[in-house]
Amino acid sequence: MSRLLERIEFRAVGTTCAAAVTAGPSDRLRAKEALHAARQEVAACEDALSRFDQRSDLSRLNAAGGEWTPVDGRLLEALELALRARDDTGGLFDPTILPALAAAGYDRSFELVEHRAPARPIGWRAGAAIELDGDAGRARLERGAAVDLGGIGKGYAAGRALDAMRRAWPQMPGGLVDLGGDLALWGEPPESGPWRIAVVDPRSPGKSAGTLLLRSGGVATSGRDVRRFGPGRSLHHLIDPATGEPAVQGPLAVTVVGSDPVEAEAHATVLGILPPREAAAHIAARPHLAALYVPSEGPPLRLGAPPLATSRHLVKAA
Amino acid sequence: MSRVWTVVLSVWAMLAIVAVLAWTQRPATPFSQASGQTVVVKTVHGKRQLVVLQTAAAPHATTSTSPVR
Repeated sequence: MSRLLERIEFRAVGTTCAAAVTAGPSDRLRAKEALHAARQEVAACEDALSRFDQRSDLSRLNAAGGEWTPVDGRLLEALELALRARDDTGGLFDPTILPALAAAGYDRSFELVEHRAPARPIGWRAGAAIELDGDAGRARLERGAAVDLGGIGKGYAAGRALDAMRRAWPQMPGGLVDLGGDLALWGEPPESGPWRIAVVDPRSPGKSAGTLLLRSGGVATSGRDVRRFGPGRSLHHLIDPATGEPAVQGPLAVTVVGSDPVEAEAHATVLGILPPREAAAHIAARPHLAALYVPSEGPPLRLGAPPLATSRHLVKAA
Repeated sequence: MSRVWTVVLSVWAMLAIVAVLAWTQRPATPFSQASGQTVVVKTVHGKRQLVVLQTAAAPHATTSTSPVR
């Protein structure tokens, strides 16, 4: 029985999104239900995690002036994962960079950003406290702090959307969720074998810098090749927590492969502000991750062992 | 008679030049989204080996820095 990739595309979380499932001819109804569940879950995540929607749980928390705030379980979980990433990266990943990001000029949804001169983040410091009370379903930020989950939010939503598809269709052979290039994937594509994920070459966006072959897990790309703002679009959104300003060093773009999409996105955010040698050390200390690091000039660097397709495969000796 | 040979050689020379130019200036092969495999036989250290050359198969998705919608 021939299988196809049933797919939907939609706009959410400030970018172009897609969900896809492997389905046979008799599975179309279930496939549609699974895809609908994925889209619903992405919308629910956006309602909880967006900093651009003043009614979101995150916006209410940011505006709470240091008071305990009841929030959706998705935000509690995402904050817990963000804190874990901050610990794991020694503060290189920091969800409390929002005041610095806003001072740099990325203070509203990107299509509405005014390209003004950046300001210095007055009074901001990295590593602000975040308290979580899972039993009561509430959270509290250090007074004056504000959170941006742009560094893991899409990965988190992609993972939850994939889980929603699997709940909606427990026999689903395989599927993927793609939120603006941050992906969660699981199971088999229609033709079996691994999923093929093309890494867009940031220096030549119409071309591929390689194709990843993956069975499951997460993929995320972070870079300064798009979402540029400020005078002459000279600034980017990757804030160095050490300075509170857009990072000077780092690749044009970096793609990270991990066992889950949140981890992949958090570490892509970190590698996005590191020079090549430090990026290589970062991945070497985490052998379960791999990355393709594309500097502004020079050849792309493979950090760890990203599962890139090769043009030749030795199949057997005759 | 020598004039005939001169003409024949000139024609062949011109054809050769045209062929060389056609070969070197041929348009680049467009990127193919179709999948396919070619099996070739190679000899390595006296042993024959089957090698599969994979052409570019269409990806299921792409990853990049998130585009702005």
